[in-house]
Amino acid sequence: MLNAIFLLLACQLSGEALHRLTGVPLPGAVVGMVLLLIWLSVRRRERPALTVVTAWLTAHLTLMFVPAAVGVMEQGAVLSRYGLALVAATVVSTALTMIVTALVFRWAVRRFSEEDVA
Amino acid sequence: MSGAPLLTTPLLWLAATVGVFAGFDVLSRRSGRHPLCHPVLWSTPVLIALLLVSGTPYATYRAATVPLSFLLGPAVVGLAVPIWRERARIRHLAVPVTLALGAGAITSIVSAVGIMALLGAPRPILASIAPRATTTPVAMDIAGQIGGIPSLAAVIVLFAGVIGAMIATPLLNAVGVRDYRARGFAVGVAAHGVGAARAFQVDETAGAMASLGMALNAVLTAALLSILALLV
Repeated sequence: MLNAIFLLLACQLSGEALHRLTGVPLPGAVVGMVLLLIWLSVRRRERPALTVVTAWLTAHLTLMFVPAAVGVMEQGAVLSRYGLALVAATVVSTALTMIVTALVFRWAVRRFSEEDVA
Repeated sequence: MSGAPLLTTPLLWLAATVGVFAGFDVLSRRSGRHPLCHPVLWSTPVLIALLLVSGTPYATYRAATVPLSFLLGPAVVGLAVPIWRERARIRHLAVPVTLALGAGAITSIVSAVGIMALLGAPRPILASIAPRATTTPVAMDIAGQIGGIPSLAAVIVLFAGVIGAMIATPLLNAVGVRDYRARGFAVGVAAHGVGAARAFQVDETAGAMASLGMALNAVLTAALLSILALLV
């Protein structure tokens, strides 16, 4: 368990360091994710503790971003001016993204995979 | 009694945040995890009201709740695990996954930014909605990095997730895509973790594909937008 927590923190720290030192434009935590992926593929073995820790973090992700969401209280001017437009753009963009992704996926499965799919 | 007044210790707002969230989480569970009962959707306005009533500035609240928001970083790093777990499926479906991910990420950015630009929104708002399909902590990171407003990005992303989770089934039925791999992947790419939670309720494969779509899109959208921000 401790090893898994250390692995996550070490990847995040290295990710932040890479982000700052080399100017990789990806956010540090995302670089950390890529580093963890590399680590997992280099040292191939089952990691039940890592699965438990990350499942716990993912399950509580929503609680962790409440403090950030509350920050919207400082955006009253933006929301009163662009709130409706943001709602419309978000709804349209979410629906379009879902349709395009699903259709491209289905097309590519039919075109490039041998199997039959509904 | 001695020590710092309770109002100025992190303890008060940490307890309030976890307590309010836990309360709405119970309601959400009773609703069968209906997207409209998402606990963040209701905890956020209640906490804002508490801050306003008590005259607490947001900066104080944010400093007090650092122990919670700090965990977002390790949680993002941990998204590598679902990608790793699905590696066999990724190899098997490499072409569909790659093409659908690319098409989805570009559609999301172009449509969201395009609509807001047409409506005359300034750059900080465009930069806040651009990462709307990624998981919240990544969207906040990207928004902050490309000149957006992280808290605005968080709220937009949350809303996108709730909408995505609600429209997924009827929308994908209407389009006629029945393959649960395509459906799940599309929901994860378009509506991140909130969508993935919904996908897991419907079908195990759809859920796994949705987690994969969320994790991969976090990386791709972050890459696309960071590069785009260097150019524009």
